[in-house]
Amino acid sequence: MTADTLQPQRDPALEPEIKDPIILRVEALSLWYGEKKALKEISLKIPEKQITAFIGPSGCGKSTLLRCINRLNDLIDGVRVEGDIVFNGASIFDPRIEINALRKRIGMVFQKSNPFPKSIYENVAYGPRIQGIKRKRDLDEIVEKSLKGAALWDEVKDRLDESALGMSGGQQQRLCIARAIAVEPEVILFDEPCSALDPIATARIEELMQDLKSQYTQVIVTHNMQQASRVSDLTAFLYLGELIEYGPTERIFINPMKKQTEDYITGRFG
Amino acid sequence: MSAEATARPHTTPWRRLAADRIARWVVSAGGLAIIVSILGILVFILVEVAPLLTAARVTVDRKIPLAGAAPGALLSDEHRTHVAALGAEGRVRVIRLSDGQTVATRDLLAEPAELVDLQVPPESSALAASTRDGRVVIAPVTFQITFDAQNRVVSPEISEPVVLEVDPLGRPLQSFAAQIDEEGSATTAAALADGTITVVRRSVTHNEMTGETGEETVRTSAPVSYRVTHLALDADQKNLYGGTAGGEILWWHLEEGQIGPVQAASAGTAPITALALLIGGRSLVVGQGNGTLSVWMPVSKAEDADAASGDERLTRIRDFPPQSGAIRLISPSPRRKGFLALSDRELGLYHSTSHRTLWTGPSPLPGARALGTSPKDDGAFLAGHGTLASLALRNPHPETTWRTLFGKVWYEGYDHADHVWQSTGGSDDFEPKLSLTPLLFGTLKGTLYSLILAIPLGVFGAMYVSQFMHPGYKRYVKPLVEIMASLPSVVLGFLAGLWLAPRIEHAVPSLLLALFVLPVLVLLTGAAWNRLPRTFRGRFPAGTEAFLFVVVLALGIWLCFSLRQPFEHLAFAGDFRSWLLHAVGLSYDQRNALVVGLAMGFAVIPIIFAIAEDAFTNVPQNLVAGSLALGADRWQTVTRVVLPTASPGIFSAVMVGFGRAVGETMIVLMATGNTPIMDWNPFNGFRTLSANIAVEIPEAPHGDTLYRTLFLAALLLFVLTFLVNTVAELVRQRLRERYSQL
Ligand SMILES: Nc1ncnc2c1ncn2[C@@H]1O[C@H](COP(=O)(O)OP(=O)(O)OP(=O)(O)O)[C@@H](O)[C@H]1O
Ligand SMILES: [Mg+2]
Repeated sequence: MTADTLQPQRDPALEPEIKDPIILRVEALSLWYGEKKALKEISLKIPEKQITAFIGPSGCGKSTLLRCINRLNDLIDGVRVEGDIVFNGASIFDPRIEINALRKRIGMVFQKSNPFPKSIYENVAYGPRIQGIKRKRDLDEIVEKSLKGAALWDEVKDRLDESALGMSGGQQQRLCIARAIAVEPEVILFDEPCSALDPIATARIEELMQDLKSQYTQVIVTHNMQQASRVSDLTAFLYLGELIEYGPTERIFINPMKKQTEDYITGRFG
Repeated sequence: MSAEATARPHTTPWRRLAADRIARWVVSAGGLAIIVSILGILVFILVEVAPLLTAARVTVDRKIPLAGAAPGALLSDEHRTHVAALGAEGRVRVIRLSDGQTVATRDLLAEPAELVDLQVPPESSALAASTRDGRVVIAPVTFQITFDAQNRVVSPEISEPVVLEVDPLGRPLQSFAAQIDEEGSATTAAALADGTITVVRRSVTHNEMTGETGEETVRTSAPVSYRVTHLALDADQKNLYGGTAGGEILWWHLEEGQIGPVQAASAGTAPITALALLIGGRSLVVGQGNGTLSVWMPVSKAEDADAASGDERLTRIRDFPPQSGAIRLISPSPRRKGFLALSDRELGLYHSTSHRTLWTGPSPLPGARALGTSPKDDGAFLAGHGTLASLALRNPHPETTWRTLFGKVWYEGYDHADHVWQSTGGSDDFEPKLSLTPLLFGTLKGTLYSLILAIPLGVFGAMYVSQFMHPGYKRYVKPLVEIMASLPSVVLGFLAGLWLAPRIEHAVPSLLLALFVLPVLVLLTGAAWNRLPRTFRGRFPAGTEAFLFVVVLALGIWLCFSLRQPFEHLAFAGDFRSWLLHAVGLSYDQRNALVVGLAMGFAVIPIIFAIAEDAFTNVPQNLVAGSLALGADRWQTVTRVVLPTASPGIFSAVMVGFGRAVGETMIVLMATGNTPIMDWNPFNGFRTLSANIAVEIPEAPHGDTLYRTLFLAALLLFVLTFLVNTVAELVRQRLRERYSQL
């Protein structure tokens, strides 16, 4: 659990200097899908109220790493984990921890928007209801605040009772963001949130992420280099389950230290 | 089609086109064939059912001039080739209908005598008449049928008449009724000029040892204060009915020729002008001077059916639309509860039980004096004014109406109108009672009880397996359930009827106990398990906790069975069945709805399970992940997201299960006792539409009312499943529309 202390010296390509407080610390994390090792001793620190991007070729383990953070991989049969993730000073793998409470604090937005087949209102109110909030007035307030937070309120305020499935793809994705912030998490994980959206909808989501920065720590997985460079403060490049390079986004894109990183971001990659 | 195309991407376009077209043809032809064959079945059933509801037809076959005095009583043979007519001069003439020739004659009395009143006794093949000098003559007529080189030869035979002296003073009788049985024992009852009803019975005894025949005549009289104008005597020579000029109907019991006390009922003020007993001798058709036609039956007034017949009252059961003039003649059908009624200008064909006026029309022979129905009920004869008219009756299913099929009908021997299915009985004059309502009821009852078991187990089982069960065990469940589904229903029915039913009979208290104990036990175990420290729980391999519940369940069942006796003692005063009967008023049949619920539930569970499991599994995984990512636990995710999303599939699972239960035959056939009663009592049997078809079709003569009614039952099943499936499909479409963009 204290693998980093055993590390002989600091590798500048992997351990950037971070001034902000660290909210998540991934420590020598390895993950196996059955026999297959999908993550190999990954260590990185994610600062509070910043946007961290995970990039890398398809199948390198970005989603796997992201889903480790809110322990969504638990659902998959035959997953085995070694190493640790420390969130606000406590291990998320601690058997005493209430997993639902953890997931409430670490929200997630998925690649394919997944609104529930319910009304817009009920989608946003779902999380608070799970938390036990029943008063209509409280719920109304949370729904409005969350939808405003996700820059969706003006578009949907007159049709809150309509099915969420009738919205456009971009709206659905923003609804999922609203749904995530309705439970007031500390971290929001985005797994390729814009891959199914057109450039205008993508721009709106990116804008929204900037707005949310003041309140939330955000981690985004993306395939889109421009997007990573536009929105993120830190970027981690993964390749075949290994963390190749991690550092401030600007440095990674302008002056990558590793050849693999350079090849990937310049598009010279298989 | 597109699969074929993509499977062989290297084929040349025209080949692909051809394959495409052929595939389309094959698929369309297959679909069309299915639709056509289903429609064909439907048409076939409809063709078999349709005659049930066709109207009756009465047509005049021929009119033949008659010689001699106008006949007052008519009899015919089975094939309607000959008619025996009794004229007022006392001569019987047998007329061949094909050419109008008189082929035989016989004078009933040696000396010339004038007959006053002529009739055919109910259910007999005899001619009877009273003479001006107070005697009654009864002559049985038979038509022997022989075959002479392919040709049917009918030889009429008029037996030696029985003559009974009724009025010792030789005065004409006011009215009379007569009856004769096969041995020749005859009874006559008459209203005499001295104001009495006199019954004369001549019984014939046959001594087997000596070969001698003895004869004994008994005569009794009873005074009556009514002017009795009509009398009718049933075939058993036990019940005598009378009609008066004041509109009263009288009823006496005869015991070995002894007349009992009279019972009178009023039919209104109009005089009784015709009286006839329908086959079976329990229904009395009364025609009156104002054209009224009514049917009367003895009905026991006491609640219980076994009350002595002395408690029976002659009751007016139903009325037919009156004819325009006084009813002159009523001729009952020799085969069913129908009759012909004739007034001066009108002729009507009626059926008592179904309360149908089958046909009415102008009388083909106005002023006719005699009316007879052929033995097969396919023809009738009218005589008067020197003419004999032969009528053809086309009337295949007079006893069936929507009301007899689905409504309550007041049958003979019942003290109220009811839904009854009873297709066969012990005697020849038994009237089939074909109400489909008890069968429909039975079908719904069986379906309900099996779905009560199958829906929760199937749906919740599917929910558990797809959402909670450890994936490692999941793959064993589906094949197991498939084995369950592949059990032939005859095996299930056999086991349920012969093995399960006798065991359940003793185990009902245990089952009731289990109904409370098992859920409580499972909930307690679940709660206890959750309270155990995580480290302890972690020692068990994931998923094995399910086996803990299996053990607990087994323990609970064992507990319920071993606690049966004390529980039965405590709750049911030691004997469940007598407690059920006395405290609740429910009877217990060994083969009952509970047994069927278990057996048919067993057959339906795999169907519901399989479809529901698919529905649960098809809920997109990203919805589940989305819910979990918001901090919901498994249970909240399942109840709030998975269940509503899977609801169209679950609905169709339930509907398909319903359809299966409705149509299921073997299990209900073997495990219900097939008693067509209408009672929701779970401890009673019932009979379903499908089992009824299986039970009855081997016994049903082709083209018979029963046969067609069974086809109607099949049609009903067809429509029922069609409706269920249509509704299911519509609802499913609508639900799916709501969830389609997932
Ligand atoms: N449920 C699973 N079971 C087994 N192997 C898995 C599972 N999910 C992912 N993998 C494997 O783990 C590796 C990492 O997958 P992951 O989904 O994390 O990649 P990714 O970087 O997110 O790729 P993409 O950019 O295509 O989304 C891949 O090789 C994949 O095949
Ligand atoms: Mg991914």
